[in-house]
Amino acid sequence: MPDPISKSVSENTEHHGEDGEVAEHLRLIAAMTREFTATRDADVMAQTGLASITQYVGAEASSLFLVDDQGKELVCTACHGPVDITGLRIPSDAGIVGRSFKDRTGQMVRDVTKDADFGAMVDEQTGFATKSILCAPLALSDDCLGCIEIINKNSGDGLFDANDLTLLETMAGAAALAIHNFRLTQQVVTQERERHELELAAEIQRQLLPPAENSDFPVHGINMAARSVSGDFYDILPLSDGRIWFNVGDVSGKGMNAALLMAKTSSLFRCLAKGTENPGRLFDAINNELCETGTHGLFVTMAGGLYDPKTGKIVMANAGHEPPLLLDGMGDRFSEFEAEAPPLGIMPGIAGPEGYPAQEIDLGGGNFYIFTDGLTEATTFGGGMLGIDGARALIRQHADESPDLQLHSITGAVRLPGQSLRDDLTMVVIMDSQAVADPAAAHDEENEDAVSGQILRLRVPAKADRLKIIRAGTEHAAAFCGADETWTLDLVMAVDEACQNIIRHAYAGWDEPGDIVVDFIRDGDKLTVHLMDFAEPVDPSKIKSRDLDEIRPGGLGVHLIKSVTDEAIFVEPPEGVGNLFKLTKSL
Amino acid sequence: MALEITEQDGATVVALTGDVDLQTSPAVRQGLLECLDSHDRVVVDMSQVNYIDSSGVASLVEAFQVSRKKGSFFALAHVSAAVMRVLSLARLDKVFSIHESIEDAIAASA
Repeated sequence: MPDPISKSVSENTEHHGEDGEVAEHLRLIAAMTREFTATRDADVMAQTGLASITQYVGAEASSLFLVDDQGKELVCTACHGPVDITGLRIPSDAGIVGRSFKDRTGQMVRDVTKDADFGAMVDEQTGFATKSILCAPLALSDDCLGCIEIINKNSGDGLFDANDLTLLETMAGAAALAIHNFRLTQQVVTQERERHELELAAEIQRQLLPPAENSDFPVHGINMAARSVSGDFYDILPLSDGRIWFNVGDVSGKGMNAALLMAKTSSLFRCLAKGTENPGRLFDAINNELCETGTHGLFVTMAGGLYDPKTGKIVMANAGHEPPLLLDGMGDRFSEFEAEAPPLGIMPGIAGPEGYPAQEIDLGGGNFYIFTDGLTEATTFGGGMLGIDGARALIRQHADESPDLQLHSITGAVRLPGQSLRDDLTMVVIMDSQAVADPAAAHDEENEDAVSGQILRLRVPAKADRLKIIRAGTEHAAAFCGADETWTLDLVMAVDEACQNIIRHAYAGWDEPGDIVVDFIRDGDKLTVHLMDFAEPVDPSKIKSRDLDEIRPGGLGVHLIKSVTDEAIFVEPPEGVGNLFKLTKSL
Repeated sequence: MALEITEQDGATVVALTGDVDLQTSPAVRQGLLECLDSHDRVVVDMSQVNYIDSSGVASLVEAFQVSRKKGSFFALAHVSAAVMRVLSLARLDKVFSIHESIEDAIAASA
C-alpha cells in the first residue's frame, strides 16, 4: 500500500532543528488523523497508522494492542515488522504492555534484559531479538483502549530516548481518538440499520392483520402498537359458509422477539384454522407447533374461536387470555369468560388428550368483546388506569354504535393525543344482531337507493396539508351517495371549513396536534358528517351563538358551512372525544 | 400550489395553479401583496384553481382592499364554476372585478 505520509516524512526530516521537528510532529499527527477519519475499515486504519508511526520514530517493529470487551486481555490487532503476532492475546496486566495499559503511562525500556516484566516468550518462539521497547497507552479522558508498542530503534545504538517516548505518546493519543470516533460512527450506523429493520418488521406485521371489513360486517378488530412492532395480534377469517374465525392474542414480553412470535402464532392460526372446525383442537395444534420449534421463554395468551352469524353462537377456546366480555342484547348485563387452560407455547400437550377446552356461548343479540390487557391497563384522560370497570363503562357507552365505530370510540378514549400507548392495545368485537344475521340480505340492501349506515371514516392528523385528503374523501363519500357536482362541492367546502376550525382553533397552541376523525353516515335521504377532535372539550351548554362567534372567529367559514348545510351543530361528544361537530345535508 | 407572474399588455398576470386552501393561502396572500406592491395593474388568472376555501377568499379580499387603497387595478379572470360558487356564497361575486378572460380583464384596466 502506498504510504504518502511516511514518504513525505523521510524527505523532510533531515534538514530541520528542534522547532522544525515539533512542527513536523504536528504535521504527521494531522496527516494521520486525516487518514484515520477517511478510512472506513478498522483494520486498514490500524495498519496504516501503525506503519506511519513506526517509520517516523524509526523502529524495527511495532504492534497495536486493543483491550477486549471484558477488559481482561490485550489483543494484538495490527503489526508492523518482521514478525506477525496479530491475534496474540496477553493478560491486560502482563508484561510491559500491560504495565503501560494499567498505569496509563508511557513506558520506555532501554534494555529489556534489565526489566523483570519483559516476557521473552515471543522472542523465543520467533527468533526475533528484542532490545529496547517503547510503549504508550491509547488513552482517552475516561478510558484506555489499549497500547501501541514499538521495538528496537533503527538508528544509533538501537535504544530509544525520552524524545521518542514523547512523540509516541502524542501519536498514541491521536490514534486513541481516531479509534474512538471510528467506533462511535460504527455504532450510529448499526443503530440506524436496526431502526430501519424494525420499521420494516412493523410494516410486515401490519400486513399480517386482516383487511378491514365493511361497516355492516359483524366482526371487527383493531390493533394499536405501543412501539413500532407489536406483540399483540388479532385475526378475522370469514369462511365460505358464513361462519367467521376470530382471535385475539398477546405475546409475553416486548420488542423484536415478541413480534416474531406474534407473526408465527398468527400465521399458524390462519393456516391451521382452514383445516378444522374445532377451536380446542386448533389451539392444541398451535401449542404443539410452537413448543416444537421453541419459544425461548416467551408464551402466548390467546382467545379465539368460530362465530356463526346464523345461530348467534360462538365456540371459543381461551388459553390464559384476559377474560372476554359479553354484553347482553339489552346493553344491560356483562358476563365474563375466564380462561380454562394455560397459555400457548409452554409445554406440548399441556391441555390434555382432548385438546384445549372449548365452550359454546350464545350471544343472544349481544356484543362480544375480546381484548388485550393494553385496554384495561391503559391510561385514561384523568391519568389513572382504566381497569376492568372503566373498560366495561366505556364498552357500555358505545354498545349501540356500529362495530368498527365502537372500536375507534373505545380505543380513542384511552389513546391520549400526542402520547404513545403504555402497552399494545388490541380488541375484537362481535356484534350479534338480527340486522346482520343474514349477510346475503345485507349485501342486497347495499345496492338499493335507500342505503343507511357508515360510508367512510377518515382519521388524519389535524394539519393543513391533510385537508386535501379530507376533501378527496368527502368527494368520494358524496359520489357514493350519487350526489351531483354542486351538492358535492358544497359538502366538500363545509367539511373543509369545519376541519379548518379544528386545526386553527381546537388544536391551537398544540406543538403536535392530535387527529381529526370524519365520519360520513348515510341516513335515508340525508348525509350526516361527524367531525371529531381530541382537543379540550368545549362545554356544550356554553356554546351559544355569541360564544360560538368568539371561538370561531373569521365568520366567513361558519357562514359558508351554514349556507350549504341543513344543520351544523355541536353535539355531546362520546367519551374520549373532545368535540363532536355534526353536519347534516339532504340529498 | 404554484404562482406564476408574467407581463401582458402592460398588466401583471398572476396565474394560480392548484387548490387555494389553509395550507397554500399564506403563499398566495404574500404573492399577491408583493405583486401589488410593485405593480398597479394586477390580473389573477384563476383558470387552474379548482378549489378555494375561506382562507383563500380572505387572501383575495385582502389583496382587493390593498389595491383600492393604492388606487391600483385588481381583477380576477377565468373563474371556475366551483370557485364562483364559493365567491357567490360569500356574497363577493359582486365585489370583485371578475372577467371571462385575461384579455377582457386587461381591457377593463385601461
